[in-house]
Amino acid sequence: MRAGTAEVRGARAGTAEVRGARTEAAGAEHRLTASLEILPGRWLQSWAAPDIAAAARPGQFVYSIGTARPGLLPAALPVAGVDRPRAIIELLVDEHALTGEGALANARVGDPGRFVGPLGIGVPLESRSIHLLVVADIGGLARVRAHVHEAIGIGRRVVLILEARSAAEVLPSSLLPDEVEYVVATRDGSLGHHGDAAELVPDYEAWADHCLAAGSDELVSRLVDLARGRDARLGVARLGRRPGRRSSRAAAGRGRAHEWLHVVLEHGQGCLLGVCLGCVVATRGGLIRACREGPVIGASGLRGADDA
Amino acid sequence: MKRKRSIVTSRRPASRSLAPPMSTRPARRPGTPSTDPREARPATREARPATPRTSALPARTVDLSVDLAPDRPGGLRLAHPLLVAAGGAGYGIELLAASLAPPAAIVTRGTSLRAHGGAEPPRMVATRAGLVSAIGSQNPGVARVIEMYGARWAASDVPIVLALCADDRGGFAALARATDAQPGIAGLELHLGCRDLRRARRVGADPSHDPDAVAAIVRAVRAESSLPVIAKLGGTAPDAGEVAVAAVEAGADAICAIDAMPALAIDRVGHRPALGAGGGRLSGPALTPIALGVVQQVARAVRVPIVGVGGVATLDDVLDMLMAGASAVGMATAALADPGLPGRLAQALEAWCRAEAVESPREIVGTASQRRAARRRA
Repeated sequence: MRAGTAEVRGARAGTAEVRGARTEAAGAEHRLTASLEILPGRWLQSWAAPDIAAAARPGQFVYSIGTARPGLLPAALPVAGVDRPRAIIELLVDEHALTGEGALANARVGDPGRFVGPLGIGVPLESRSIHLLVVADIGGLARVRAHVHEAIGIGRRVVLILEARSAAEVLPSSLLPDEVEYVVATRDGSLGHHGDAAELVPDYEAWADHCLAAGSDELVSRLVDLARGRDARLGVARLGRRPGRRSSRAAAGRGRAHEWLHVVLEHGQGCLLGVCLGCVVATRGGLIRACREGPVIGASGLRGADDA
Repeated sequence: MKRKRSIVTSRRPASRSLAPPMSTRPARRPGTPSTDPREARPATREARPATPRTSALPARTVDLSVDLAPDRPGGLRLAHPLLVAAGGAGYGIELLAASLAPPAAIVTRGTSLRAHGGAEPPRMVATRAGLVSAIGSQNPGVARVIEMYGARWAASDVPIVLALCADDRGGFAALARATDAQPGIAGLELHLGCRDLRRARRVGADPSHDPDAVAAIVRAVRAESSLPVIAKLGGTAPDAGEVAVAAVEAGADAICAIDAMPALAIDRVGHRPALGAGGGRLSGPALTPIALGVVQQVARAVRVPIVGVGGVATLDDVLDMLMAGASAVGMATAALADPGLPGRLAQALEAWCRAEAVESPREIVGTASQRRAARRRA
């Protein structure tokens, strides 16, 4: 594990000033325009937030200010949907969460709220990608939902594999765009595939040219292992330097730019400046902060189950 | 009717009143201005003009300043008593760059001699009692820290206190040697109960419980550094007063109390500890009453300034800490959640002092203990 990575990256010129300005702007007030309980205890909320909606990208998150109990840090909430024409962001909140997310779930239409964001690195829009595979469990759904809608909006074909403990936790298909192919896996076998979502991925890995995942550590590490062996299983030719020849650094960079699997890391709560180091994730290149170097990260940098 | 507050400070024995008895106070000639600002106040509440206090007091100045090392050449003078405690702002660079009301000082994250990778993720979990976290003293090592941040600290008006983490006396001495005479470092805070490094190297019991071990560490640092030294105590020592006395006699300029408390959070789905490191530390408001108790214990035992830390998030918490005996108040978790909070609380404290006709927060330091002692004597 490399020490001090976060400090080095945190010292990027200009970043701190931007964060500081956002902290000052935390007084901007937003308003709840709709709230729908889409699963037991999970609410899909629409907030009028013109400043955030104008800039938000799928995968990014906002901090909810003033809702956390004293002693906790602001809840980090993934942007679950963006409606730019109406200047609305959607958040999927869990009323049982111990962070400020729980308090936010009790808000009623018309209530004010304060959010800081959008923050973090969003999902890269792969211009060459046509077939998108999205894999998530119920906990990770909020982190990938916005990208599903955006991909459908620009004409991509999308398959969503959702993992849940039982049928009671499965998101109704009516809440997804009609164009999405929806595949369900339940742990108890009460609906769809009996097992976990990772078991279904090999069926789609040849079809999909880009995969986005979010969920538990177990799910993510299994997907990372699958992604690592994908090229070999599919017989994908490796282009690039031949044995014995030196590679051009620029060419190597272009080659790495397209990763098959991107993961949206979990980030429950955090500070506003990126200094608490509470959201740190161990990667092959050292420690990174989900709030600053993430939450979206290419799978090649993540540790899989085989690395443990 | 509210009685007029008696004026006492922690710098004097509790049994002595700051002001001499009225009968012994020399008479001032008519027309001679007083040199004692307290004399500008009416002797009793009844004698005050009937106009509202807020309109009568705007001209009164409140001296918020506090010196955490008054006996050391150069001292460690703060503009107000509200500072960011260790872990509340990393190395302070982001906070210094933000356009917020500045804290009185920033105590950095714990820094060790060599780079330390920190604890395995996950590192932070929310519980009903507050935040349980295990960061594990992640830092790039003292030399790299000074190289990266020293120049920016030196350019800042906010004093930076470097928190030092080591697992033995030699480690603390080496850190003190490495930081002495470095520009931008206003003082050192010794994390005497730094569990992270001890756990990593599997060495002995918590030295912050042992007065002899604490004295040895402080003496070793004192021999290597001329900077003001703050000894940080944990909240679990059986007799914090005894440990504080040992630290002060060995050369500590101030005492900081308390560190976050050992804690555990459980991942019920995985049937395992929720944090990657296993155990962690609890921070947040649950700590405040514990910290108040330790601060009072320490204030009774030593006469050096005390920095009260533990779940402070409101003006009431600040006043409690001051009245328990702290000269300055540190915030970590609350400052992470709201980086501008220490600066705003300083403004609120100033307003409170104006409203309560208190000319300096120093006047209320330790009053809770002194009132109780006076009541017992009566």
